[in-house]
Amino acid sequence: MAEKAGIRRIFVANRGEIAVRVIQACRKLGVEAVVGVSDADRESLAARIADRAVCIGPAPAAQSYLKMETIVVAAKGTGCDAVHPGYGFLAERAGFQRLCAEHGLTFVGPAASAIEAMGDKLQARRMAAELGIPTVPGTDHVESAQRALEFGRQAGYPFLLKASAGGGGRGMRVVRTAEEVPVAFNAASAEARAAFGDPTLYIERFIERARHVEVQVMADTLGNVIHLGERDCSTQRRHQKLIEEAPSPVLDERLRARIADAAVRLLRHAGYVSAGTVEFILDADTREFYFLEVNTRIQVEHPVTEMVTGADIVAEQIRIAEGAPLSLAQSDISIRGHAIECRINAELPEQDFMPSPGRLAEWRAPAGEGIRVDTHCYPGYFVPPFYDSMIAKLIVHGADRTSAISKLSRALAGFTVGGVQTTIPFHQAVLAHPDFAQSRVTTRWVEETFMKQGFARERAT
Amino acid sequence: MDLSNDDIFKIVKIIEASGYDEVRLEVGDFKIHVRKHADGDAAVMPSGIAERRPLPSAPPPSPPPQEPPARSAAEEAPPDGAVVVRSPMLGTFYRAPSPGEKPFVEVGAKVVSDDTLCLVEVMKLFNSIKAGVSGTVVKILAENAAMVEHGQPLMYIRPD
Repeated sequence: MAEKAGIRRIFVANRGEIAVRVIQACRKLGVEAVVGVSDADRESLAARIADRAVCIGPAPAAQSYLKMETIVVAAKGTGCDAVHPGYGFLAERAGFQRLCAEHGLTFVGPAASAIEAMGDKLQARRMAAELGIPTVPGTDHVESAQRALEFGRQAGYPFLLKASAGGGGRGMRVVRTAEEVPVAFNAASAEARAAFGDPTLYIERFIERARHVEVQVMADTLGNVIHLGERDCSTQRRHQKLIEEAPSPVLDERLRARIADAAVRLLRHAGYVSAGTVEFILDADTREFYFLEVNTRIQVEHPVTEMVTGADIVAEQIRIAEGAPLSLAQSDISIRGHAIECRINAELPEQDFMPSPGRLAEWRAPAGEGIRVDTHCYPGYFVPPFYDSMIAKLIVHGADRTSAISKLSRALAGFTVGGVQTTIPFHQAVLAHPDFAQSRVTTRWVEETFMKQGFARERAT
Repeated sequence: MDLSNDDIFKIVKIIEASGYDEVRLEVGDFKIHVRKHADGDAAVMPSGIAERRPLPSAPPPSPPPQEPPARSAAEEAPPDGAVVVRSPMLGTFYRAPSPGEKPFVEVGAKVVSDDTLCLVEVMKLFNSIKAGVSGTVVKILAENAAMVEHGQPLMYIRPD
């Protein structure tokens, strides 16, 4: 297990900013990087800066970035000894990890068994409960709408119907009355079957005012497990995170320590290896926290943790995959200042966040002390319509939250993008809102409060 | 289980005559996977590949801007009037049906549209690359048993 694999060349099985991020980590470690690109990404920044780029298929992801066999053939054919899956695409497919292993490729991430165990939300929830980690009150597998009605009678409404194999809000329904149960049950079950091939549902109490708090954990093959503190990702829209920060502005030291301890205990118990994130829901009213799920990959928002800890999570993932011990001990980790990240998407917030692909006629990203931009874009780059719309992550670091917010506002004002519409004005308006400044944002705030207050009007001021 | 090429040919013929599009046959260590209408059908992709559009999960708000797939500037131009046969997928390029056999075609060979020029293998799945046009093979660009990329030029054919 702890045998040193000595990675020399990594195949980057992803695109966009995370492909660039992985290539940069490879550079730092003196590892070569080969990137697999679709037809639409031949001119991407990752293709330009990698040691080699190979075209793995046509633009649609199903025919390129999601083709496990093709990616393994490409990795072997280019002499790679490891594969980094990034996030999304194949990152949380246990079958892909297995296929890599069968062909002698080191997968930069956890074992297939861990991906499977954590990917099954009910199984992960049971494990958390066994360890005495609070889970949202609810049920195990609910077989029928009848059982869901029984739960409603006993525990009351509203509650959430969730897919055991789910994620990203798919196969999930908020049920507010008994009348809604039959339709919601059938719809959630059908959606879960269609999206994940598994119709299994369970119930969780619906927390009206929730904050999303998650803990970054790193574990090596030698049994060392540490955490790098938490991130607060409460500014969301339809379960998609928009703004993330570290540390969480709503935790006191005691609660912070308890949540981090729960995360470490869970992944230690699971025998987890590599970077992983344990997500929790914090009830803003009762201040109780509950285990939500584990993400077995590098996450989009990892830079805020890097900014406040100084750790390089992607490089650490690669070292762990080689069998090396963690380069940091828990006692080395201290949280310094405050970091906030905005996901800049090529979208029109005023028109229900409609995607806005196209050629970047203008592209000037801010730079400076405490400012980091993770992006794959450059002037003249064509944002293809085939993939997700994120074009950059703007991350700032400040001495405290107030100074981070003002630095981020200035950086957003200095971010010039022409040719496509972006969420930059949306972020500026959120940062200027008193609810954000006073950390009163909950996971449904963007949809239920902010957008209803007329974001378009604020934009004009 | 010992099978000659002839036996395999017969199996393929039987499957071809059947109503099935894809057949996997496993007898002990022997495995054969035959697919009738593999992606390899669209073997000839002269400049500007006919992109199969993804099925949008939601109605697209507006027609997305179309960009021609960019080709490497370093790619050499085919001789006048020649058609480029590109690899329809990333995989391993083989010039012959099996090691030790004669290549499907050599430079100068006359081919018709349905002739197989080469194979591209992805994980034991062999895709026959058809000529797509009738003409003469004027150049073979890819190296036998080497990895070829999606869209990589494999051969030039001068149409009749």
